Amino acid sequence: MMGLPAYLVLGALVFSIGLFGVLTRRNAVGILLGIELMLNAVNINLVAFARFNGDLTGLVFTLFTISITVAEVAVGLAIVIAIFRVRRTVEADRLDLLRG
Amino acid sequence: MSSNAWLPLLVLGMPFAAFLLLAVVAPLRRSGPRAGLVSIGAMAIALAGALTVWVEGFVGETTWAWIPADGGPIATVGLLVDPLSNAMLVLVTLVSLLVQIYSLAYLGDERPASLGRYYTYQSLFAFSMLGLVLAPGFLQMFVFWELVGLCSYLLIGYWYERPAAARAAVKAFWITKLGDVGFIIGIVLLWSATGTFEFTDLFEKAQEHALAITGLPTIMFLIYLGAVGKSAQFPLHVWLPDAMEGPTPVSALIHAATMVTAGVYMVTRTEPLFALVPEVLTLIAWVGAFTALLAATMACVEGDIKRVLAYSTVSQLGYMMAAAGAGAAYAGFLHLLTHGLFKALLFLAAGAVIHAVGTNDIFRMGGLFRAMPQTGIVFVVGTLALAGVPPLAGFFSKEAVLGGVWEADLTGPFLMLALTALLTAFYMFRVVFVTFFGRAHAGGHPHEAPWLMRGPLWLLAALTVAVGVRLALVGAGGQEETPAWLAPLSIGLAAAGFALAWAMYQRGAIDPARVAAGLAPLDYLARRRYGLDALYTGLYRGFILAFSRLIGWIDRYLVDGVLNVLTALTLRAGDRLRRIQSGRAQDYVYGVAFGVLLLIVWAQLWRQ
Amino acid sequence: MTLETVGFWVVAAVLLASSLAVVLTPNLFHAVLYLAAALVATGVVFLLLDQPFLFAVQLLLYAGGVVTIVVFAIMLTERLVGERIAQTSRHLVNGALVSAAVFVGIAGFLLQAPIGAPRPAQTVDTTAAIGRALVGSFAVTLELLGVLLVAALLGALYLARSEE
Repeated sequence: MMGLPAYLVLGALVFSIGLFGVLTRRNAVGILLGIELMLNAVNINLVAFARFNGDLTGLVFTLFTISITVAEVAVGLAIVIAIFRVRRTVEADRLDLLRG
Repeated sequence: MSSNAWLPLLVLGMPFAAFLLLAVVAPLRRSGPRAGLVSIGAMAIALAGALTVWVEGFVGETTWAWIPADGGPIATVGLLVDPLSNAMLVLVTLVSLLVQIYSLAYLGDERPASLGRYYTYQSLFAFSMLGLVLAPGFLQMFVFWELVGLCSYLLIGYWYERPAAARAAVKAFWITKLGDVGFIIGIVLLWSATGTFEFTDLFEKAQEHALAITGLPTIMFLIYLGAVGKSAQFPLHVWLPDAMEGPTPVSALIHAATMVTAGVYMVTRTEPLFALVPEVLTLIAWVGAFTALLAATMACVEGDIKRVLAYSTVSQLGYMMAAAGAGAAYAGFLHLLTHGLFKALLFLAAGAVIHAVGTNDIFRMGGLFRAMPQTGIVFVVGTLALAGVPPLAGFFSKEAVLGGVWEADLTGPFLMLALTALLTAFYMFRVVFVTFFGRAHAGGHPHEAPWLMRGPLWLLAALTVAVGVRLALVGAGGQEETPAWLAPLSIGLAAAGFALAWAMYQRGAIDPARVAAGLAPLDYLARRRYGLDALYTGLYRGFILAFSRLIGWIDRYLVDGVLNVLTALTLRAGDRLRRIQSGRAQDYVYGVAFGVLLLIVWAQLWRQ
Repeated sequence: MTLETVGFWVVAAVLLASSLAVVLTPNLFHAVLYLAAALVATGVVFLLLDQPFLFAVQLLLYAGGVVTIVVFAIMLTERLVGERIAQTSRHLVNGALVSAAVFVGIAGFLLQAPIGAPRPAQTVDTTAAIGRALVGSFAVTLELLGVLLVAALLGALYLARSEE
């Protein structure tokens, strides 16, 4: 029987890998993929804690997280498409209009 | 307020009211002669008041608290009326009035706005001098002392577009300021030792021998320094000849009769205090006599008529101070009064000459007696008075001074003063002969001055004669009996000087050039004013300007430098920090990740 | 060595490998596919934690919906076939360092916590319980989620509409 720490460490690993993707990917969609991984890791965490503490709330929370992630991905990609239409690129380095 | 007080207050207030009116109401001031009439009118009322006060013989003191405190006011302002101040009141108001009337004609060519400015300053000066004379204590005296100095600066520099005049005004201010520094230090030290500024309190303490404070000689010497500056004693006499850059009526008023006499007046007023420090008095006598002699030698080689009179004033001020130093302050004050009359007369007459001929140089004048007989007559009257010829006023006061100095066993000063009497007669008659007699120079049409100028001249001449006659009849009223041989001696010295001048300049029997060659070293030094002016200029340029440059450097490079460095740092830091805002979202995620790491570290530490 | 333990290790390996592939592949399309694999592996993890309902939801929404959306987005924004990894990713070393540091930080917390207890027995039927909770205590949240989804839908529609 694998204990709680195993699941949590697994989640932490996936989180870090996702963070690495967010930090290094050039393509905007690639960054979004990294975000997906991070959110996934969070879900693993939630479910593991819910299972080991016997609390239902974590499961419901996971459900909501998944739904909200879907919504966020949809809107985010819509934005990416809109940007692509205007600037003909989705390279994150080029999207620096907020430069100070 | 008692009836004794409102009349002096009126005398003091009239010129002040005129000054305020002219200063505030600009259209009135800019109208020129009308401003003059305002000032003259106020002065006339003040003169009437002063005459009433003097004739009635008011005595009394009225003060109001200026800085109130628990144990009585720390400082007061007010009016101290006694025979000493009454006499000064009359002198100041009379000479001021005559000078202002005279100026209407002398400065008739001025622009109206400038003329208005002149009369504003004149009124301010009259007010300041009267306030000084009426001061019941050192503090008020010092305030008006400084005001008088300010007016002197303003009036010397009246023609401020002329660089020489501007420089002379600044020089006068600086040199007298040197004396004033000593004055205020002395006043404050005296106050810290005795707790009061008031004259009556101090004189009471002196009477009760309660002023035996250590360092009183030093304090009184410091106070005397103020008189050294203001009354042009050696070595702070150098500003007075240069002050001749101002208009002649100004010279007549403040550099003959009133402002420069403030120092003498102060020493005379505080005579009970000076009597406690005989060593300082001796010093005053020696310095006074030396100043008299020094200035007389410089007057002998001077060619500018106003400068001769200026050196003569310095010399006569030396007489007055020597008398005060000899303990005969009354004699010195008498000389102050008489000298005020005939020196003002001489200056105004010189002004008439300058106005007619257009130059100050006596060697460019000559034979003016034919063209300006009235001016000539009054000038000769003034010269006779200055040389000390009876029965004119100067004779009696000079005799009183010499007598006082002799009685005090001050042989050195006495000899110097006697020699000065000879030289005084000599150089004054030298001016008379060169200017009014001899060959007339071509060019210009010298004419008599207008009546506005001649009137004051005749009045002053008449007063000189009248005062002299009165003194002859009533007696000078000194405390000691003068030795019998003194009167013949002073008359003899005057006659000798006259004869010498007549021989050299009128008859041509003795060649002035050969005399000068014979006395070559003295002549050389006297022509260069004994190098004192150069010394002062050198010190000024060397120290003060160098100090200013240093301060300027510090301000520019250190003070401003600090600010500039700070701003540059801020700008550069801002530029560097700006790169954080790259506009790229991924860089911001880096920031968030760093923040999370920091939080983790902090939480770990906190757990322990 | 129970079946569960073996299963865990296998799933963990697959999950980690596919995650790494997601972030390191130059080809974006391949990355999406690897993401799909990672999502499925996550679902299996849920299964290992006795949550079949969540496994189903994960497959449906994530592995199905999200992957589809991303694929469409990629197709609409071109640049499929990528350059070498050095050009698809930037500052690899920095990123690796930061990520590793974050992992170390989190793991540090985890390993210090006293959570070594064995898992308790499953008593309730979680699916039914979830269902009851959704319409019971979490009813308001459920409705709000619906609003959110509608808003997201409208937003995505508006943002991605073609210029006219």
